[in-house]
Amino acid sequence: MTSQTPEVVERRSSWAIQWLLTRKELRETLRDRRTLVTLVAMPLLLYPLLGLVFRLVALQTKAAAGGSEYRVAVSDPRDAQWLSKLLATTDAAIAAEDRAAAEDGRAARNRGAANDPAGVVADELNAAAGAAPQFVLIDSPEMPPPADAVARQMVDVGVRVRLDEQGGQTAVELWHDAASEASRGARRELERRIARLNIAVMGQMLAERGLPTRPPVAAVARPVVTRGTTTGLRDFLPLILLLMTVTGGVYPAIDLTAGERERDTLETLFALPVSTFRILLAKYVAVLAVTLLTGAMNLAGMAGTISALGLGRQVFGESGFGGLLAFKLALVLVVFAMFYSAVLLALTSAARSFKEAQAYLIPLMLLSIAPAIVILLPGWELAGWPSVLPLLNMLLLARDTIGGARLGTPALAALVSTVWYTVAALAAASRWFAADAVATGSRGGWSDWFRRPTVGGDVPGLSAALALLMAMFPAHFFAAGFLGQAFDGQPAARLVASGLLTVLLFAGFPAAAAWWRRFAWRPALGLTRPDGAWAGVGFAAVLLGCGAWPLVYEVVLLMHAIGIRAVDDDKRQLVEQLVAGWRQVPLPLLIACLGIAPGVCEEIFFRGWMFGAVRRSWSGWATVLSTGLAFGLFHVILAGGAAPERLVPSTLLGLLLGWCRWRTGSVWPGLAIHVLHNSTLLTLAAYRDELAKLPLGGENATHLPATWLIASAAAVLLGIATLGWTTRVRGSATSEESGSASPSSR
Amino acid sequence: MIILRELSRRFEANGRAVLAVDGVSLAVAAGEVYGLLGPNGAGKTTTLRMILGLLSPTSGDVEIQGARVTEHPEQVKRQIGLVSASAGLYQWLTPREILEYFAAGYGLDAGTTNARIAELAARMELDAFLDRRSATLSTGQKQRVTLARSLIHDPPVVLLDEPTRGLDVVGSQVVFDFVRDLRDAGKAIIVSTHQLDEAERLCDRFGLLHRGRLRYEGTMAELRAATGQATLVDMFLSLLRAGDQPATAAPQREDVT
Repeated sequence: MTSQTPEVVERRSSWAIQWLLTRKELRETLRDRRTLVTLVAMPLLLYPLLGLVFRLVALQTKAAAGGSEYRVAVSDPRDAQWLSKLLATTDAAIAAEDRAAAEDGRAARNRGAANDPAGVVADELNAAAGAAPQFVLIDSPEMPPPADAVARQMVDVGVRVRLDEQGGQTAVELWHDAASEASRGARRELERRIARLNIAVMGQMLAERGLPTRPPVAAVARPVVTRGTTTGLRDFLPLILLLMTVTGGVYPAIDLTAGERERDTLETLFALPVSTFRILLAKYVAVLAVTLLTGAMNLAGMAGTISALGLGRQVFGESGFGGLLAFKLALVLVVFAMFYSAVLLALTSAARSFKEAQAYLIPLMLLSIAPAIVILLPGWELAGWPSVLPLLNMLLLARDTIGGARLGTPALAALVSTVWYTVAALAAASRWFAADAVATGSRGGWSDWFRRPTVGGDVPGLSAALALLMAMFPAHFFAAGFLGQAFDGQPAARLVASGLLTVLLFAGFPAAAAWWRRFAWRPALGLTRPDGAWAGVGFAAVLLGCGAWPLVYEVVLLMHAIGIRAVDDDKRQLVEQLVAGWRQVPLPLLIACLGIAPGVCEEIFFRGWMFGAVRRSWSGWATVLSTGLAFGLFHVILAGGAAPERLVPSTLLGLLLGWCRWRTGSVWPGLAIHVLHNSTLLTLAAYRDELAKLPLGGENATHLPATWLIASAAAVLLGIATLGWTTRVRGSATSEESGSASPSSR
Repeated sequence: MIILRELSRRFEANGRAVLAVDGVSLAVAAGEVYGLLGPNGAGKTTTLRMILGLLSPTSGDVEIQGARVTEHPEQVKRQIGLVSASAGLYQWLTPREILEYFAAGYGLDAGTTNARIAELAARMELDAFLDRRSATLSTGQKQRVTLARSLIHDPPVVLLDEPTRGLDVVGSQVVFDFVRDLRDAGKAIIVSTHQLDEAERLCDRFGLLHRGRLRYEGTMAELRAATGQATLVDMFLSLLRAGDQPATAAPQREDVT
């Protein structure tokens, strides 16, 4: 027996409701003065304070090193006169030498070999002074003998000049305090000047005898930058920036989840006819907004402080803190904030009280500091597995962004994988937030994740879909990596293993999840009978499956033309080797493993499991868009990040397949399209050499003939029109549904 | 109309199964106030949470206005207003913003929302503090906001979970008046409480819940006839003395099948 469905009155759009839910969370968060303190006061006060401390340390370092003035005790006026002459003679040469040294230091820092932060400031202050240290000569009668004056710390250095009246060597005695940096500095400075005088006098003597004055040997300093061997201000910046940024999200995340639970406001919230995921999404947006604002404030505070200290060029390179760098840093910050906000929400959603949430976050903060310190160690680069390791990849990316390094495929892999982890964390947050523990307050636990329900349903929820997506990425990443190594040099075996992996992950995972959660497997996997006449749907599937490839090919070429392609030559070479290996494999095996297996299984996962789950909460178009984008992103990741040019064509294909699923209510038509599309491309690739001999527009033609493209476009349009026409009844039903159904049904 | 059919909920706690609600069946008609009574831990709140769809039943089902909560959870939620004594308010929001938020959650448009807020503000005397931060309100004012919140979408069914807990005599009287108004408006109401004297003044029919099972159900006269006790307090004491012995005189409404 089924119950009667009451009349549903929906007077606001789904998006409007989502905005109103979000607005409440934003109001609640941004009005809380504790949030504002973290958000505004911390960055605006912290960085200037840090800057002042830096300057103070720098000045102390400089003072410890001798400052800008040395006090010199001389034994009599004759010595004072000699010393004054020495200083006057060498002043210009020494100042020129110091300016050159300052330029060398600045150049070295600009290439990455920064000194310690205080040193940077001290050097800058020295360079800004633009002159050598000054000497104050003291020969007053009250002054004790030079040695005593130094011993009593009345002066930095004591001098007595023993002139040889016969023209022999003049000895200059320099009394100094070996324990005092200032005293040692004064001694070194006088020794430099004496050496400079000697060179000048000897040069003059050589010139008088008509001999060359150029020194026979000259040392030329060549500073070398060794990445990671020095820890500079630039390396600390991502650590400070990112850690300060996440502090902004901590309090709102706790307050909006565990805090609500503690205040007993959550039950009334869950009594609303809105899905838990949407409530959580509103909270996520609020946490993200605060985190981003904190990030922006920190970035502004940091950039402002560095500029105010006059260290812009030292930290950000010759061009300083420009618009492009700001954009790149903002992008890194946005992705990082998205990820960290989701992780914070996931952890705090599992907590039942403020204190418990704080206890959960302490390990997270410690875990966050660890990779932040790791990036300061030598040898850590944004490449290979660190580029997909959560948190570490973003810290490395931030470091390289600030350092002005060229960002390539690893950077893209870092961004895409982080977006993926964000989705995974949101799925976990949704699961924990909706757990019985929320309602019962005491009985739920971690075991809920693994408990098999006693009652199933037709279609999984959004959190179930996201959870599977979360499991899929690391499973595929590690399994594909393992297979690549295990079957290196065996293209056929590797191909079969890859096909089996596709079946296991994309069909096995959702099928197992459907069994475990007791879902009816046909609706859960979208394997229901399609709406519309079989003939019409079949004809459209053949047209779309066989006819779309020229357009897809041209989109890939377009991506190459606008520079979207793997920039990592090693990766590109690997892919080319892999493709070359496939040419040795029989075509039927190739089609089975790369055409049929992905075509069938990816449809079961993306258009079956995911589409049905997302559609439960979102509108038809939003479902098509989100699953299409997920499909496109997955294909970039499937290629190990080596094929960013696949994002657009794969997403477009995903949108088309999603639309077919929506119109027909089934994965079968999309499955046929996908298999036909893949198989057509593989067949054409297998006969590439033969096709190249055909008169298609010249031997070196890259683009397909215009007639092919027109035919392809016509086939696609006809396919879409046929499918639209044959499912027109369903189409009107779906549009009505999306316009009037309750949020739960969308 | 509220109908519960053989509703059960089992929890796992420390590896042991606990039957918090055990085969509860009852029905509440429009314009009727039903008192779900029982000591702490009897299963009252768990039952209300299953009616709301916050907890899924282990077996049995709930039907609200003709829709099953397991099949149409969100449609059912639209039909229910919840008043929970323990529920707090959002301290940084004003009562108006809180009411607007819940109205949005129920899908009401701006015009309807404003009209409902004006109506409820007049009825619950909220005007004086409608735009003040909730943190600054007195306990009584907060209680009135909580009651208004439950009615923002004008639901045909209202659930009240311990509505007078923590309230003084004046505050409790506000709740009594509120419930009577709802009954007069033809709403189906379940009041869950362990304040038996209050329930006696407020409810038309009663269900006595003990250790998850509905031991007695009926009007005051029916309960007196079934238990031989004069007051609800005496009925409960005899029930507790009887321990876990199954109650034989627990009449169920015929239409609950």
